[in-house]
Amino acid sequence: MDALSKSFPGREPQIAQLLAYFRAAPYPPAVYIRGGPSSGKCAIVSGLLGALRIRHALVDLVECYSSKVLFELVLNQLSGHRVDPAVGAPFAACDHLMDFVGQLGRIEDVDGSVVVLRHAEELRKLEANVLAGFLGLRQLTRVRVSVVLLSEVAFEKYYHKLNLSEPLKVHFPQYSMEQLLHILQLDFPHAEQLSAVQVDREFHRSYLSVFLPVFYRACRDLSELRHMSRKHFAQYCQPVLDQQLRAQDSLALWKRIAPIFNAATSVLYLRVSSKHPGQGLELPFYSKYLLIAAYLASYNSSTDDKRLFMKFHGKKRKTRHDIERKNKPSAHLNTQIGPKAFTLDRLLAIFYSILEDKVGFNNHLLIQVSSLVQLQLLSLASDECSLDERKYKCNVNFETIQTIARMVGFNVRKFLTDFSHM
Amino acid sequence: MPGDFEAIVKYLKEKVLYSDEVVGKEKEKKQVLNLLRRTVVDGESNSMLLIGPQGAETSKLVNSVLKELEGLKDYIIVELHGLLHTDDRLALKSITFQLNLDNAVDGKVFGSFAENLAFLLACLRTGGKESSKSVIFILQAFDLFCAHHNQTLLYNLFDISQSAQTPICVLGLTCRIDVIQLLEKRVKSRFSHRQMFLYAGSEETSDLDFALDRMAWYLELPPKCPVGITSKARDAWNLNVQELLKNKKFRAVTERMIGLELSEQILKNVLLKCLYSLTNTDQLLTVNQFEKELESLEKDEMVQVLQDLSALEICLIVAMQHHSDIYDNSPMNFEMVYTRYVKFAHKHSSMQNVQRPVVMKAFEHIEAIELIAMVNQQGSAKLQKEYQFFKLLVTPQQISEAIGKMQGLPTEIVQWWNSSLI
Repeated sequence: MDALSKSFPGREPQIAQLLAYFRAAPYPPAVYIRGGPSSGKCAIVSGLLGALRIRHALVDLVECYSSKVLFELVLNQLSGHRVDPAVGAPFAACDHLMDFVGQLGRIEDVDGSVVVLRHAEELRKLEANVLAGFLGLRQLTRVRVSVVLLSEVAFEKYYHKLNLSEPLKVHFPQYSMEQLLHILQLDFPHAEQLSAVQVDREFHRSYLSVFLPVFYRACRDLSELRHMSRKHFAQYCQPVLDQQLRAQDSLALWKRIAPIFNAATSVLYLRVSSKHPGQGLELPFYSKYLLIAAYLASYNSSTDDKRLFMKFHGKKRKTRHDIERKNKPSAHLNTQIGPKAFTLDRLLAIFYSILEDKVGFNNHLLIQVSSLVQLQLLSLASDECSLDERKYKCNVNFETIQTIARMVGFNVRKFLTDFSHM
Repeated sequence: MPGDFEAIVKYLKEKVLYSDEVVGKEKEKKQVLNLLRRTVVDGESNSMLLIGPQGAETSKLVNSVLKELEGLKDYIIVELHGLLHTDDRLALKSITFQLNLDNAVDGKVFGSFAENLAFLLACLRTGGKESSKSVIFILQAFDLFCAHHNQTLLYNLFDISQSAQTPICVLGLTCRIDVIQLLEKRVKSRFSHRQMFLYAGSEETSDLDFALDRMAWYLELPPKCPVGITSKARDAWNLNVQELLKNKKFRAVTERMIGLELSEQILKNVLLKCLYSLTNTDQLLTVNQFEKELESLEKDEMVQVLQDLSALEICLIVAMQHHSDIYDNSPMNFEMVYTRYVKFAHKHSSMQNVQRPVVMKAFEHIEAIELIAMVNQQGSAKLQKEYQFFKLLVTPQQISEAIGKMQGLPTEIVQWWNSSLI
């Protein structure tokens, strides 16, 4: 047990609590463990049950697209089924909860075994009786089987029409900064391998104390932090390797690594290199204008088209409606509510009015529209079968359209009612 | 002595978890017993609903009655559970099995559900009032049977219980008080309208005394020593329990618990938790332990969930709460929350500039742990995820509490949360 606490620093109270539950039979009928991502729920539970030599089945609900899969996985794990050509043990087949309960009761010495279900919140997506069935498994089966549910969601989200029997709850709180620092220091052997120069623990520690405050605000997920710390350690060592800086000079090292860290925060979770954040979009000239026209069509109402795009639209009397619209709160701006559908005619009309040199209407333009759809920059909003009066929507956000507009030297803001306040 | 202690704890855990005894409820027990006796001995058919809170009290009562009935005369018990027998086909299969009619059905091929039912009913019907064995049907989670197609099973069971065929008694166990309303008209008319309500607590004593009585019943060791416990250890244990129950502070704690909920379930859960927390070093139950367990019960899970969030995620939650304050709880999309967040981040230079994809990821995490829920709107399936509308599912009080408890949260965020908006 000490080994378990040692390999999971910061989890001592939780381990003690779980140990109290499973030290001696009878075990509690149902335990609900909640904790954030990579807070050690599953590793601790399976480690503990393994160390106590309690027979258990561990099933991840993400794998179970139907309750049949779930039941069969549990049954086969509990009965110790193994794929082995020499010993042909039949694979349990089970269609519904009634079968499951019956077969579970028939497994030899099933008393005192534990069923561990990861991502238990997915249980709600299966048939209505599965969740209630697992929580009340002991009453249904009359054998002493315990259920441990692991999830990230508060238990109160499970309440529904069905009456659930309340499980005992264990909470795995997210690691604090000090705990994270401590845990990441355990990663030292790995870091040693990564770096080309000889590093000591103190060097690694000072790296982590620089690293952690940068990423901690955006992310408390241990596995993601570890991934990021491994990824950037070599870069941190680089100046030492080139003998530009000494290993003790942590301030200078920090100055070197800070811009790299700042760039890296933008690709947290994305698992792409920070050097190429997103691939540059290379579109033909007219396609760019088509996309801009599509954006304008999506985020302007068609009644404003005349004012926006025609040269001699005449004077417009200010109505009360206009004044009200001017004072519209930002949350009701078109750019915040999402794109609206527009017809191809409107797209082409806007396209021709914003394009300075006149180009003939031909097949090439139409093909570019459909290739924009293929690139998913536009999406088809109308029925796919109808050929005339097709409607489109623009899928590009404001930042992207601004960069594209800048490339062709076009001011988008001027043509958006959200910004021009007519 | 350690051996004694372990035996005591094991005995008590088993008692809390599996005890089938029902204390009190003599009147109700007698009534059910009379009903069943009339079916078994006199061959009268009948039907009855037992309505009581969750926590298996009703089924305990039925089980204890059945125990008393044993050896009176030959009869068959058929037990069905609403969670297991989710449709009439499964229920029928189970009935066939439990009636030992497998052989009779074996050779036959039934074209439809109706035929199968007709056959079973014929089997039941062939007996007269005197000649045949009586059958007791126990339907657990009775309310779920009401959802079966056309309520065919219930209709037929009640129908038999109304006519002079094989004597059957239908006992329905449920926790829904409005269960009668769930029955279809033709089913309702065949039901005897015998209902019995089983509530926790009793009429004679106050709720507090009742709860203390129950705890005493669970915790005290009986005079006849269970295996492995010496009488000395038993007396010491019982003395401690009695002193505990007399303790003023303990009574106050119990009162607090009753304030939450008075049910067998919560009592059992608290007792179980206390029993599990006993260790070799502190072997006796104390008031502090109860207080601690109760506190963990009273804790708001949502606050814990909020505390586990990263600073960025808390920022988003604050932005969302501000949005719903300003716009009178109207739903919001990512775009609006992001604009609000960016506004805040720009104002405070100490806030890191976090890129849009990372904010999106934080938003998705908040959605995954169900702090926000998507609002169903027309055509929202086609919208991009930035524009899908969500509603915040936590209250401002919960956010306040969580922010107050979080350590190492940047002060700007706390100030932002505390700032008055309008």
